[in-house]
Amino acid sequence: MWDWPVRVTHWAFVLLVPALYFTAENSAWGWHMRLGHVLLALLIFRVIWGFVGTDTARFTRFVRGPAGVIAYLRGGYDPAREIGHNPLGALAVLALLGLMFAQVIMGLFAGDPFDGATGPLNSWVSIATADTFTKTHEWFFWVLFGMIGLHLAVIAFYSAVRAQKLVGAMVVGKSEKALGVEGNSEPSIAALLVSITVSAGIALWVYFGAPPLT
Amino acid sequence: MIAKTTTRLIAATPLIAVLAACGGGAADEDSQEAAAASDAPPEIGQRQENFEGIGDAFKAIRSQLEAGSPDMAIITASATEINQRAQKVSGFFPEGSSIEAGYDTEALATIWEKPEEFSKAANNFVAASTGLRTAAESGDGAAVGSAAKILGGTCKACHDKFRVDDD
Repeated sequence: MWDWPVRVTHWAFVLLVPALYFTAENSAWGWHMRLGHVLLALLIFRVIWGFVGTDTARFTRFVRGPAGVIAYLRGGYDPAREIGHNPLGALAVLALLGLMFAQVIMGLFAGDPFDGATGPLNSWVSIATADTFTKTHEWFFWVLFGMIGLHLAVIAFYSAVRAQKLVGAMVVGKSEKALGVEGNSEPSIAALLVSITVSAGIALWVYFGAPPLT
Repeated sequence: MIAKTTTRLIAATPLIAVLAACGGGAADEDSQEAAAASDAPPEIGQRQENFEGIGDAFKAIRSQLEAGSPDMAIITASATEINQRAQKVSGFFPEGSSIEAGYDTEALATIWEKPEEFSKAANNFVAASTGLRTAAESGDGAAVGSAAKILGGTCKACHDKFRVDDD
């Protein structure tokens, strides 16, 4: 149902988000920033993979408009026939990726050079802007945690009430599907290598302060 | 169908209980933290509030310097505030109020291992803040700029030695 790059990325988010919270709480700024850049790389990877990955990884395949979401909520959607993220889950994917992106980007500009750690792009913006990013970065993770809480609650609902094994599918990549429904496509190694190189390259480049490339 | 849904809801109960328990655990931790915080010397909170004020005032000054035409009134008010707060700094460090002692602070035990160095660093900071205040009152933008640089250097010097590593 989900290819292994999607699953590895997902569970890496699960490890990284709490780790980023605890490194911040314990003022381990070096680790906070290194892990933040790992998260940045994974986020970029997931977005690229959303265009060049397997069928169920692609945004065009699972993101639907409001009409699609409403139709889904009214029923008339068979998860055994349409594998992958359902139209409601697609919204969670977009919200979680978007909130994590926002939080990471604010972190890149956050800090004060006279007051401890600074994100690599801190000097790009004015002191007042950096201060606003810093203060927002300090509370915005609660918005992300709220969305994660909603995500977990809905997964629990699907598991308990609708008996859909979404967690298992996110671990092993397989789910029950109707006979004759085609499974997910195979990941292309070339696309994977390009996605990893580009995302890791951008994150590393940002880590070093995004120096001019020429 | 209703029976089936009910069964599933019953099946869901342990899950909901686990979620609730997790929430409860977090609340317990919070109350423990609050307990630890109430045992903590009040100076920890006071110095943090004081440093926040200094940081905000210094940012206000640097924002003005960044602008094409700095507002000397804002700079003078902020420099005065920094100067007043700077003189309180050394009084906010009772022995042992360090991160090593388990408090929610970034202050290193080095402060009390090298008391002379710490008080020298604190004095340098007070002197630099007086310098900035004098420059601000003179109304000379260039003098404010160089005094702010000196002040920033004294912030950093103390942070580098007596506060948890930021890298």
